[in-house]
Amino acid sequence: MAEFFKKQRVGAYMNLIAAILGIVGIIAAVICSNMTVTYSLGNLGMIALVGICGIVLAVLAICLPNFFGNHDILGTCSVLGAIALFAAAFANVLSERILLIAGLFSYDSVNTVGWQVFYVTVVAMAAFILADLFLIVGAFNKSVK
Amino acid sequence: MKKTGIWRGLAALMTFLLSISVIVGNTLESFSSTIDTALGTQSEMMVTDDQEAVYDKFTPPAELLNEDGTGNSHALIQAAIDLNRQQAAEGTVLLKNNGVLPLSSGSAVTLFGIRSQVPILGSSFGVKAYGGFINLDEALSHNVTDFANHITTSLSQNWATGEVERGYTTDGWSGDEFEFDGAGFTVNPTMTAIYTKLNETYLHTENAGPSEEYDPGEPSVEEIESVNADYKDSFAQYGDAAIVVIGRPSAESEDYLPGGIVSGLGAEEPLALTTNEKDAIDLAKECSEKVIVLINSASAVEIGDLKDDPDIDAILWIGAPGSYGLLGVADVLSGKTSPSGGLADIFPTYNMSAPAMQNMGNYSYANAEDVITRENSDNYIIEAEGIYVGYRYYETRYYDAVLGQGNATGTAGTYASESGWDYDAEVAYGFGYGLSYTTFDMEYESEPVIEVTKDGDVTTATATFNVKVTNTGDVAGKKNVQIYGQAPYEQGGIEKSAIQLLNYGKTSLLQPGESETVSIEVDLQYIATYDSSYDNGDGTYGTYILDPGTYYFAFGNGAHDALNNIMAAQGIDAASLVGESNADYAFLTEITEYVIERTAFSVSKTGTKISNQLDYADWNYFQDGEVTYLSRADWNGTYPKSYTDMTLTSQELIDYLNGNYYTIATDEDVSDIVWGQDGDLMFYEMAGLDYDDEKWETLLSEMTLEEAQYLATFGGPSIPGADSIGTVETYMTENAGNGIAVNLNASKDTEAPWNISSDDPNGNWHPEVFGSSPLTAASFNPDLAKELGEFIGIESLFTGIPILWGPGLNTHRHAYNGRNGEYYSEDPILSGYTAMEFAIGALEYGLIAAPKHYAFNDQETNRSGVAPFMTEQRAREVELRAYQIAFEATKYDTEDYDAGMRGLMISFSKIGPVECTVSTGLMTEILKKEWGFTGYAVTDIYDDFDLYGAVLTSGATCYDTRGMSGFYTDTTLDSPRFANQVDGSVISATVFAGDANAQLAVREAAHNVLYAIASSNLMNRYNATTHIVKLNTWWRTAYYSAIGCTAALTVLFAVLYILAKRKKEEN
Repeated sequence: MAEFFKKQRVGAYMNLIAAILGIVGIIAAVICSNMTVTYSLGNLGMIALVGICGIVLAVLAICLPNFFGNHDILGTCSVLGAIALFAAAFANVLSERILLIAGLFSYDSVNTVGWQVFYVTVVAMAAFILADLFLIVGAFNKSVK
Repeated sequence: MKKTGIWRGLAALMTFLLSISVIVGNTLESFSSTIDTALGTQSEMMVTDDQEAVYDKFTPPAELLNEDGTGNSHALIQAAIDLNRQQAAEGTVLLKNNGVLPLSSGSAVTLFGIRSQVPILGSSFGVKAYGGFINLDEALSHNVTDFANHITTSLSQNWATGEVERGYTTDGWSGDEFEFDGAGFTVNPTMTAIYTKLNETYLHTENAGPSEEYDPGEPSVEEIESVNADYKDSFAQYGDAAIVVIGRPSAESEDYLPGGIVSGLGAEEPLALTTNEKDAIDLAKECSEKVIVLINSASAVEIGDLKDDPDIDAILWIGAPGSYGLLGVADVLSGKTSPSGGLADIFPTYNMSAPAMQNMGNYSYANAEDVITRENSDNYIIEAEGIYVGYRYYETRYYDAVLGQGNATGTAGTYASESGWDYDAEVAYGFGYGLSYTTFDMEYESEPVIEVTKDGDVTTATATFNVKVTNTGDVAGKKNVQIYGQAPYEQGGIEKSAIQLLNYGKTSLLQPGESETVSIEVDLQYIATYDSSYDNGDGTYGTYILDPGTYYFAFGNGAHDALNNIMAAQGIDAASLVGESNADYAFLTEITEYVIERTAFSVSKTGTKISNQLDYADWNYFQDGEVTYLSRADWNGTYPKSYTDMTLTSQELIDYLNGNYYTIATDEDVSDIVWGQDGDLMFYEMAGLDYDDEKWETLLSEMTLEEAQYLATFGGPSIPGADSIGTVETYMTENAGNGIAVNLNASKDTEAPWNISSDDPNGNWHPEVFGSSPLTAASFNPDLAKELGEFIGIESLFTGIPILWGPGLNTHRHAYNGRNGEYYSEDPILSGYTAMEFAIGALEYGLIAAPKHYAFNDQETNRSGVAPFMTEQRAREVELRAYQIAFEATKYDTEDYDAGMRGLMISFSKIGPVECTVSTGLMTEILKKEWGFTGYAVTDIYDDFDLYGAVLTSGATCYDTRGMSGFYTDTTLDSPRFANQVDGSVISATVFAGDANAQLAVREAAHNVLYAIASSNLMNRYNATTHIVKLNTWWRTAYYSAIGCTAALTVLFAVLYILAKRKKEEN
């Protein structure tokens, strides 16, 4: 394992961070969905599914260059796929929370439970977006020595 | 960096941007109607190819149109200014006048109090006053405004910096100037400049709200001096009068709370005057011999001290007067208008003395964490005051105190009395009270006429009072005529108020010496008493009872005066009364079983037998004996305690709170319910048909269950179309009670011949400009309420909105309800008739006024699901009566036409432990069966999405799904937003496939919604050729472009990456 990590370069570490952020995003989505019955996410299954697929692709983007070299086509497809999937996870969270957010910033500003859900939701959405940004940065860089 | 890395990275970046563009596009499309309203764009348009028979059912008045038939924005705004001015002039209540008012022309006056510069005109949230406004100094001293320096503001939080900032409600004003005839005074510029300067740090706004720990933010004398140490030098020049403005705001989502005031202000309660406010009054006394106080508040401010202060010469209650209402206040100050309003709420010396105040605020069940599983079900309030809300408490206790019965003079509930309970000490100004600049003689022109008719089981009994009013003073004025009644009460019997308003009217403007007879018809069902223990003999309990005995009626200057007149007629010694009395103003009659049967009103006007429907509203129904309701049998012993930490032990009660109401059936025979039948009857042909017309059955049978379910699920602002009957998705509904919340240049009906073009100089005028609801109620003028409804109906034609989510129709249970400014009064008769007139007026222009919040939205604290517990008598006689009057609208019924409101919004709150949205007793048995409601009944915003089956089978017709649009494609029935059902059901177009009851309920919901729409001005736009045309918008172009560009660049960089990769491999 140590040998493996010695071989990795910036791109791989960026993808690793992205995969971890994907996990964070899913966990945050699960938490915010289970904070209250009212604000559970009706599409949590879909969020988890696309999030997990994104994580798998991010992990593949780490592994594949070790077999096919830097900037290989399969690894690149994995990165692009992971970006799209994390964005889809973000979109799913957003679409379910947009009415809550609109309410909190207008007629329902005193909804303390809603605000707690909102903050965790922000963590989930931010994690997915950050994951994408790390994947982009990684894509510019080499993954293996 | 190698080229492969660059192209790869750029491809990744473009993939991300492409994804974001798609997400943004989808989100915008899902909420396109809301986006359009916010940005003033138009995504789709109803188009009618055949221009025959369109825009011919409802049209604006000719005087608001240009010669070419287009709308005249200047005339419309001028009309709004004039009407708001009248609303304020007639609603303003003169509480005290030592002869200083009206002020003479040319007076030089000084304004005190920071609210004199930043008046409360609307609410921080809810019914805001929008756009340019006319301030008090302008109204007093100017004759024209260009609104350049006066755009209303409200506070908002900058989410980037966290700073609270003042923001304008509209982006400036570049439209017309408007002329008005001001009061002709001069106003001390020194003080106005000081307050303007101080407000740079105080951040007061014209749209303000209460808070749980309130600070009125009145500057101290030291702060005034810090701006201009020589300010007192200006007093001599502007000392003809000193006018002090005291403000307390009202708004959605916040209440005042007992003791909820910032410490160190010199007041114990938020509606009491602070030290700085008292100091401002003292400055006024230094400035002038004539001190006038304006109470700028929808709630009762504690002004007992001012009433008794000989140096305070006049007090005026002005409510929250709206964008132009201060012109009306100036009219009263200058004498152009003689005040003619009466208080819509009693003003106690201390608001905490109201029995309702013992149980308002934040209460949670002691064992909520252990037994409650549903969100927003932890909170409750015990409305232990029973029927004794507002003046009904103070006046009834007063009556019993004078008669020496019911331990009325005990100490329980005393706040201002020195020993035992004393009306004179506890009450500053009574309900309905108001003075004038002139004097009136009033007399019954003839013996009141009681008429009783019977149609089958339905009894109609009225008493008509013809009151001759003569102006005996020196100036012209109007006079409101309030008719009150008293039913016979037996000590220890069913609770009855000693006095209650029954109806009212108002004279026209009477010149000195002129007389007018005001004819007021009282519906005697409103003096009957609801006895929830009455055995109906058919296995049911509870109905209205009219006890045989002596009934008293009287007119008077408010409830207290009328009660005194009744007491005089009863021979009670005048020396024992608080205030004057006149037996000639009272009328008594014996009502025996031969005149009107005891149970005459046990059958409603629709022929429905009335019985208990809200047993579960009473806490004691579940856990007997734990709550004691206030009773006049023993005022001292039953004055409410605070019911804190109630513990849930009844499993039935817990089950209700956890939302276990309805289980969707899956295997019922539904073959008799016809859907999707072939036919060519189209919706446009239903305009003006009765609810019972047989064509409706044909039309409904043509719809599919899915279409009906869409109508029942998505209730606005955008409402789904149904292909089978030729309806299209339409933006239908908006707020609020003080005007339509859509700018003139953002109309949803741009095809209308009277459409005001988007480049009209006055196009950004926003029609929410009128004053608070209590101001309208305080006018005691049914014609004015109707005129306001008509005008907002006209606004709806110019903005293309057929349904209005307003007016507010909840009860002022107490002064601390933060939303009192949106509701009319503590009295259901005043509220009900005012709302009825408003709604009838609005419907004349095809606007469906949907009052809110049906019902029991008695406080804003925990409003999302709070459980108010009360007796059914209280529910029916106080809370529901206002709705009953408005919905029955018997005044406007004819043999051929059943008048009434065509819409309502349901409350967030529960009734007892049951959500109002799922209460079949409330929504079907009372609303539809007893009162004959046949219209649109929408939930409050996103309320009870987790109770889909229960809500749609209760009698509610649809959900408020604000923001959602794009039905059948972007927004579908299996939306995740309905995913978390309490009963575990999965919502889809087939969820009711095996539930006959639900299918029938959905069918009825579609019937009600379509029937309501068929009576609205939307029918202006419908015929056989009506269809929707999709339009492009700049934001749609922007995201299309973004998707196109990012997709192309993604492909480009991907190709470049592959080429670079191959090149590298070849090398």
